[in-house]
Amino acid sequence: MKRDYTDNNSIYGILAEFRNPAELLKAATEVSNSGYREFDTYSPFPVHGMDKAMKLKKSKLGWIVFAHGLTGFLGGLALIYFVMVVDYPLNISGKTFYNVPAWIPVIFEITILLSAFGAFFGLFWLCDLPRFNHPLFNSERFQKATNDGFFLCIEAADSQFEEEKVNQLLKGLGAVNTEQIDSGL
Amino acid sequence: MSKTYEYVPKPALVKGDHDFSSLTSLITDINLRPTPKAWYVAFGIANVLLLIMLVAVGYLIWQGTGIWGLMQPVGWGWAIINFVWWVGIGHAGTLISAILFLFRQDWRTAINRFAEAMTIFAVMCAGLFPAIHVGRIWVAYWMFPIPNQMGLWPNFNSPLLWDVFAVTTYFTVSALFWYVGLVPDLATIRDRIKSRMGKVVYGTFALGWRGSNRHWWTYEKCYMILAGLATPLVLSVHSIVSFDFAVSVIPGWHTTIFPPYFVAGAVFSGFAMVLTLMIICRKIYKLEDVMTLDHIEKMNIILLVTGMMVGFAYGMEKFIAWYGGVEYEKAIFMYRASGPYAWAYWIMISCNVLAPQFYWVKKFRRHIGLTFVISIIINIGMWFERFVIVVSSLSQDYLPSSWGYYTPTIWDVMTYVGTFGLFFTFFLLFLRFLPMVAVAELKGVLPQANPHNYDKKGNYVPPKSEPPKPQYES
Amino acid sequence: MSEEVKQNSYWKSLKELSRNEEYEKFLHREFPENASEMTDQVSRRSFLRVMGASIALAGFAACRRPAQKILPYSAMPENMVLGEPQFYATGMPFQDTVTGLLAENNEGRPTKIEGNELHPSSSGRTNIYHQAAILGLYDPDRSRAIHHNGERASREEFIDFVREHFSDGNRRIAFVSGENSSPTLSRLRNQAESAYPNAQWVNWEAFGEENSLEGARMAYGQRLRTVPHFDRASVILSLDDDFMNPWAHKNSVINAKELNEGRQVRSVEDRMSRLYMVESNFSNTGSMADHRLRLKASEIETFARALAERLSRSISGLNAFSSVNNRFTDHDWVETVAADLLSHRSESLVTAGTFQGAELHAIVAAINLALGNIGQTLTLHELPHDSGRTSVEGLRFLTESLQAGEIDTVILLGTNPVFNAPSDLGFPSALEQAGTVIHLSDYIDETSRLATWHIPHAHFLEAWGDGLGFGGHRSVIQPQIAPLHDGWSDIELLHLIVDREWSDGYDLVRETWQSFYPGNFEQQWRRILHDGIDPESGFEPVSVSLNGNFSSEIQSGGTDPVQGIEITIRPHSTIFDGRFANNGWLMELPDPMTKITWDNVALMSPATARDLGISVERGLSERDTPVIRIEADGETIEIAAWVQPGHADNSISLTAGFGRRNAGRVGNGVGVDVYPLRTTDSMYIQSASVTVTGQSYEIACVQDHHSLEGRALIRKATLEEYRENPDFASFENVHGYPIPGLKEGIAEGGDRPISLFSPQQFPEHEPQWGMAIDLNSCFGCGVCTIACQAENNIPVIGKREVTRRRIMHWIRTDRYYEGDADNPKALHQPVPCMHCDMAPCEQVCPVAATTQSEDGINQMTYNRCIGTRYCSNNCPFKVRRFNFFNYTKEYLTTGDDPEIIQMAMNPDVTIRFRGVMEKCTYCVQRLHRAKLATRRETGSKKPADGTVETACQQACPANAISFGDLTDPESHVTRLKRNERNYVMLEELNVRPRTSYLARLNNPNPELTQ
Repeated sequence: MKRDYTDNNSIYGILAEFRNPAELLKAATEVSNSGYREFDTYSPFPVHGMDKAMKLKKSKLGWIVFAHGLTGFLGGLALIYFVMVVDYPLNISGKTFYNVPAWIPVIFEITILLSAFGAFFGLFWLCDLPRFNHPLFNSERFQKATNDGFFLCIEAADSQFEEEKVNQLLKGLGAVNTEQIDSGL
Repeated sequence: MSKTYEYVPKPALVKGDHDFSSLTSLITDINLRPTPKAWYVAFGIANVLLLIMLVAVGYLIWQGTGIWGLMQPVGWGWAIINFVWWVGIGHAGTLISAILFLFRQDWRTAINRFAEAMTIFAVMCAGLFPAIHVGRIWVAYWMFPIPNQMGLWPNFNSPLLWDVFAVTTYFTVSALFWYVGLVPDLATIRDRIKSRMGKVVYGTFALGWRGSNRHWWTYEKCYMILAGLATPLVLSVHSIVSFDFAVSVIPGWHTTIFPPYFVAGAVFSGFAMVLTLMIICRKIYKLEDVMTLDHIEKMNIILLVTGMMVGFAYGMEKFIAWYGGVEYEKAIFMYRASGPYAWAYWIMISCNVLAPQFYWVKKFRRHIGLTFVISIIINIGMWFERFVIVVSSLSQDYLPSSWGYYTPTIWDVMTYVGTFGLFFTFFLLFLRFLPMVAVAELKGVLPQANPHNYDKKGNYVPPKSEPPKPQYES
Repeated sequence: MSEEVKQNSYWKSLKELSRNEEYEKFLHREFPENASEMTDQVSRRSFLRVMGASIALAGFAACRRPAQKILPYSAMPENMVLGEPQFYATGMPFQDTVTGLLAENNEGRPTKIEGNELHPSSSGRTNIYHQAAILGLYDPDRSRAIHHNGERASREEFIDFVREHFSDGNRRIAFVSGENSSPTLSRLRNQAESAYPNAQWVNWEAFGEENSLEGARMAYGQRLRTVPHFDRASVILSLDDDFMNPWAHKNSVINAKELNEGRQVRSVEDRMSRLYMVESNFSNTGSMADHRLRLKASEIETFARALAERLSRSISGLNAFSSVNNRFTDHDWVETVAADLLSHRSESLVTAGTFQGAELHAIVAAINLALGNIGQTLTLHELPHDSGRTSVEGLRFLTESLQAGEIDTVILLGTNPVFNAPSDLGFPSALEQAGTVIHLSDYIDETSRLATWHIPHAHFLEAWGDGLGFGGHRSVIQPQIAPLHDGWSDIELLHLIVDREWSDGYDLVRETWQSFYPGNFEQQWRRILHDGIDPESGFEPVSVSLNGNFSSEIQSGGTDPVQGIEITIRPHSTIFDGRFANNGWLMELPDPMTKITWDNVALMSPATARDLGISVERGLSERDTPVIRIEADGETIEIAAWVQPGHADNSISLTAGFGRRNAGRVGNGVGVDVYPLRTTDSMYIQSASVTVTGQSYEIACVQDHHSLEGRALIRKATLEEYRENPDFASFENVHGYPIPGLKEGIAEGGDRPISLFSPQQFPEHEPQWGMAIDLNSCFGCGVCTIACQAENNIPVIGKREVTRRRIMHWIRTDRYYEGDADNPKALHQPVPCMHCDMAPCEQVCPVAATTQSEDGINQMTYNRCIGTRYCSNNCPFKVRRFNFFNYTKEYLTTGDDPEIIQMAMNPDVTIRFRGVMEKCTYCVQRLHRAKLATRRETGSKKPADGTVETACQQACPANAISFGDLTDPESHVTRLKRNERNYVMLEELNVRPRTSYLARLNNPNPELTQ
């Protein structure tokens, strides 16, 4: 979900802090119901049901992993076939060159290995990580997000973003505190 | 007639009244506090052992495999035994983090980080042995399919080659899995640590994680997939290790029961090792609230189960040897119990089959001292299991003329002891610098984490335990 | 001057010889220590290296491969193609026989000894001494220069000394030489005796044929050599005669060959001779016997008398014994054997052991005469070179005249009496009486150290010589290489002394031989040099009659058995009387029965062991064995005790030759010297008292388990059983059920058990090699092992490594005991690589270093091997050998100049370095040479049957090993594999070995229940 921060106004968004996961969930539901799309919630752990509340689309990670796995499987098969049958066939224990059962373990391992790489790098690619500088890091309070803070940030990039309305909305939803985040870029 | 059920409330996963922040500090303060003296002492000892290993390996490379007790017919000795033993230990970590995750066993969150770390370091120790036990260490890389001027390739029919792929894959995937789990906690430390240096280092490894739910969404997916991959992997790895023996023609090796038998054994020894380490750590780092007696009991039950599986395998081997009617197989199983290696065999039986029997009794399952002792006994037993399999089968195979008795040398011992140095060096670094419990996951399983445990006004209401409706059978 | 000082000076002078600094390193070491140098104590120096290595890891080790020096060919000899070996006839003198041999020469250096088909003492076969001669030639410890009082001297100095010293014709000279049949030496000896009227000539052999000759004298009135012809005998009784082994009989090669011919069974019609053995120790000849009776060595004569008495009832000529009545008179053996002999008159044969008393030989001689065997199964011959008296008499005479100061000059031609003379003579001190002692010998040995002059002796492959075969065939010994250390042959030295002018051995030999062929000498000479022998020559058989006063001689000579414990002293199976003590190959060759290397032990029966309180049971883990103290005639030795099942009770067998003080780096201080126990009146058998010391001693035995555990690895039957059920050896007959999977295999149109995969097909145009080993012929002598070691550059690894079960031999001979622990049968089984078509070793190698060749060889690619040892683990036959250390390097760099021993290496075979696996290759280098040759001539890749032989097959005197192309339906090996007795080990594994075995047969006498 690449976002465009090269927005002429220098506000990144409004960050609101809530007391607990329940309120954050409620807030998120409201915010998305009132039509906001460019917003995100921040919590020390994944809050159950938040994805539904935010109406998130299914992640593409599964497909990435499958593609890698398939590559691993075919690649492994090709490698062994090339080595054992095409390039340098050797009479080993009088066995046929196409000793397929004996190839299974290695092919399996290669498949797993590549799938795992797919999942790992896929994750950080989809999350647009690593990213060491982010406007939110400008906020002192936001450090609680990895401890016991529950935040919701509606971003200036959103089409219907208006500072006052957003502040109202979030206050109404019971935010213990709201602050404006400068994009700092 | 009617049956009424007495209601047993599900024990809380985290004891004591902890909220999110108290958990955070409980775990991460360990890394933020200044290094305790005791840690330096332990680290020093580990380093001495590590040095011993380096010397032993160095001398091995200098002189040749001959410095070990290996001979004709016993071409594999302590090196391979240690390899299988360490790999086996490694398996518990993956099992806890992956399989228990798939089975939604939330109690795993207290120990999975810890166990995965153990896995990675154990596999490092294991990986050392196949590399150094070969006669010409400087060409060990020929086991990988690297294009070369000789146009030669490895032999994909060889179980040893399967091993190479299995163990490398296993190590890589475990490491990735472990790191993915670490990222949110590294972020937590990044946000709490004071020192600039710390911020930079932890910040770098945290990759700029900020707990965004859009991230959590993919993150959980990824974690699930990795778990799904690691589960068949961990089963395959020890199956393949067992193929080293099962695929051969040597009586006592050539057995179809080996793959499940080895996997059970691996889980068995792995859980024992986790317990050993966990019991020490929870005491030293005061983590009794997180690593509770319930955890210990659950793991002891697993020990009992896997112990019985291993015992069953021992019995089944014997039965098949008799029932299958292959004279050489019959003979070797007789010699194991009564021959020159009987002493090893009976150590194995008493450590692996008898010791866990205590766990039929709840009192013993929850007894920390006993658990600690038995967990160590089991690891000794599992080492001897591998000794019995590797050495006794080779020393008395088909042609009696080539039977011979294997005795290790001081170098075998030094190399083995040395690997503990390698293991603990890394493990201590882990305890010192990384959160030894997956904080984020742990928070996730607190009742406070569940939005349903809050009333309309958003105040926390601890979950009430509803008794299930009585059921009637006719 | 004291021996001590001399020794030091010798070391000093040797040091001057050293050509490179490596000598310093090895100066104070012996071979076993070199092996043990590669062990696991961290010496302070190596500790630092280790620290270095531990940091640098593989990088360092990678640069430690052995680098070989190469020599350019400046002047190319004619008709020589580099890489093509050349074969020249020569012969190995051993005591007073010469065995005709062929020497394989590579680039002008002999690298391998083979038998000479044309020579009646070899007929193409060899024994371990012949095979090991190559290593003897290149032994870096051989003496390298003339020494005068321990200091190096020049050849000229010595020649001047000789001119001066021997100008006086009245010198009281004593010549001492071993038994020697060389016509040239005899000629020179006569000249010497005429040139120096006061000269004495003494023949000294520690273990000679003398009792046999003496026995003949007693029986026939003249000293005659008995030549047995085992192939002509259908009943053979051996009285303590270990006639198939070179350490016990000078004609062992032919004996083994002929006995085997008499016992060859290829079909149910074939006949098979019967061998009875009566002996004290369990010899491997005894292990071939159909019936074996274990008696104390000293009882055997008594037994023979009883037998003679029994025979005298039916046949004339043995009246001398008619009055005999002893404890064996009613022994069932005497009865049955006598009957068997009587029913086979003139086709029976009775032999007596070389190391039994003259009386026994006399009795046996009389029996053979009475049975009409003479001229049939044995022939008698006069020895032209016979000194007419026994070695001991000669040596006693010499010692006495030395003590009496009647000798001023002693000239020793290659013997070592200071080490091996009977202890009661006090020969060493007597020798110091002599003013001048000239000693010609290969090494600076015990005797050389007392000599005024030491002359390096030329190896038989270095110098011209001649001699007579056991049957008297004149043979020429051709040198294969110029003397490596300027050695002299005994004839050259003797000639120099006789006419004080130097003359080459070549001229000396020609001069002698000219007299044999007055007419067409040159032509004859060329033929003889080519063949190595004059086939027309040979002893004339002598016809004999019983000596008139035989009865008086024999009655007087009646010796009573030893009461209590007897000890017997025999030459050792591998190093003989000690002369081969510095030969690593022989030192490391396991004894055929005990399988012990690098040591001699005191063999005793289980019962005797129990009486002494020595445990008979020996666990797999035990390496040590108790040490006993043996005392006889006031002399004592301490030696390790070893329980030999089947040994006679109250009898202890000792072997001489060990405990050398000055043999060289290999032999020094190895084992125990038993010569001190030996006295002039009891050379072979005497009574002794034995006590257990309480110490224990580590023994390097290559076989730790001695029972077959009822496994059908060796299959056997009696001749009758075979005739009733010819395929008794088939899997189904042995196990009672067919090979698992065979039915399915046949259903699929094959003849082998079913396999998961359709197996690889071998190309038509390639030969398919295979081997068949006849267990009915193999008697476990071990010559195959040495031949293989010579052919394939197999290193010697030393006692310590052998003790750790790391022996490198590619072909071993397994020896199993079977039956009653006190009196078992012994079975021998040579085990090379089986070259399985579905080899379990191949599939487990992660780097494909061992694979199947197109001609069916299971081949090792040394360069590819990384040394996981998985193949060895997965080999059901455990035939693979691993270089745990850099054995070959240690082996080839031993000594002050490694180049010398490196010359012994076969250039066609790769040197294996540390960390690689190796094993039998079916001598692939020979196969390929043959294939190339055939291809050049015929275009086919398949050599004709018999044109290619493996080293083991070629050496085997019993013809037990056959090898050839399995695609040729008429090749010898294919025919053998069609034989009903053919089987493969572990057939049920379906690994399909190429090497198969022919089941063993016995021909027991139904009358004799044993």
